[in-house]
Amino acid sequence: MTPARSLRPYRSSDGVIVARQEIRDLWLGGRGLALTLGFSVLLSVISYLVATNQALNYLEQRETVNLTLQVAIAVGALLALLAAANAISGERERGSLESLLVTPVSRSGLAAGKLVAALTLWLAAYVVTVPYVWFLGRDVGAVGDALLTGAVVGTLLAVFLAALGIVISIASDSNRLSLSVSLFVLLALYAPGQLPSGAQKGWFGEMLVRVNPMTAGSHVVDRIVISGSSWGDQLPWLAAPVVGALIGVAAVLVAAQRMRLHGKGTG
Amino acid sequence: MMRHRVAALVLMGLLTGTAAPAGAAVRVSAAPTTLATDIGETVAFTTTITNEGARAEGALIAHLNILSIDRATYVDPEDWSTSRTRYLPPLPPGGTQTLRWAVKAVGSGVFSAYVAIVRPESTQPPTSSPAVTISVASRRTLNSGGILPLAIGVPLLLAVGVGTLRVRRRAA
Repeated sequence: MTPARSLRPYRSSDGVIVARQEIRDLWLGGRGLALTLGFSVLLSVISYLVATNQALNYLEQRETVNLTLQVAIAVGALLALLAAANAISGERERGSLESLLVTPVSRSGLAAGKLVAALTLWLAAYVVTVPYVWFLGRDVGAVGDALLTGAVVGTLLAVFLAALGIVISIASDSNRLSLSVSLFVLLALYAPGQLPSGAQKGWFGEMLVRVNPMTAGSHVVDRIVISGSSWGDQLPWLAAPVVGALIGVAAVLVAAQRMRLHGKGTG
Repeated sequence: MMRHRVAALVLMGLLTGTAAPAGAAVRVSAAPTTLATDIGETVAFTTTITNEGARAEGALIAHLNILSIDRATYVDPEDWSTSRTRYLPPLPPGGTQTLRWAVKAVGSGVFSAYVAIVRPESTQPPTSSPAVTISVASRRTLNSGGILPLAIGVPLLLAVGVGTLRVRRRAA
């Protein structure tokens, strides 16, 4: 079913209005803070483990920084994905999408606002990560590299995943479907990185790792934090996360124009 | 006279770290024969394989092995080196081949590493290099002091935030 009001052109102020409201709901409603608390507990356990566990203690100190940062990026981006996957399908399920669609806000603005709100979860996760990275990397001068890499790669991956979540949410009838598909896609994106190193060799294996924003992003963090590689050397690897984020945002704006009161298959 | 010659050979072997079983045409030396490092670090030693025979040696295989002196310490050589087997080109009489072996110390204690030279199509026993003793000091790669306050403090701070927010919402 098409909502009563016709499609309006995108205005940036629409996105700002929606983002403000969504951010307020997410953080003052307590959901954002509760998720960030869970995230901090996870980082605490990992940091404590890498710092004190005898079996893990042989890791070179830069490797411990890398391990913690990689987990922070993966889980922080996952939080943004989960919030985004709930954005439209959640409204649809609660029966509040109709009233949203008839407000004088463009659909692109609505989707963009929800995307920005989901990304604040990544921002919070990053802020929480800073003291852990500082603690683990302060003796080897890895803090600056790690924080900059985490900010750049993490933000690109969070934008990519959150945009993916919004697109899936727009097309899904229910939250359950949206979350299931989002998590499945996330696992599929991480899968190439779990292949044995031998399988990642050769033109096909390397291409798979290079074009996948998740594995390429992980490679950049690895090389810069552990090996001290320069940003210039890693630019070709950064292409996939950048392109992924840009395509993701474009896909959100396109999918928003096709947003319906019901998801695909029932509308 | 013969006894002096044997003694001289043994002494020379001890000084240079070489080993060649009686009758073997291949001699393997290792340098250095003692190494000291910290856990997590990578150390390297070289072995030089010399064909002391009158005939060319066919393609030989060099294989690195590592074991712990302490029976309580488990060693998986795969963890120490990812490149333990080298397939060598034929060695002419008098020819030498030097190989560099890099090993990452993934455990602390005293370890022994040696390289065995195997002839693929022969029943002769392998020729082994002298043992290289690797002493690995236990090292805390990280000053873990202070992690506990941080690991508890950050979640605690956020938990206080969550609690405060709930109280305010209830009051409202």
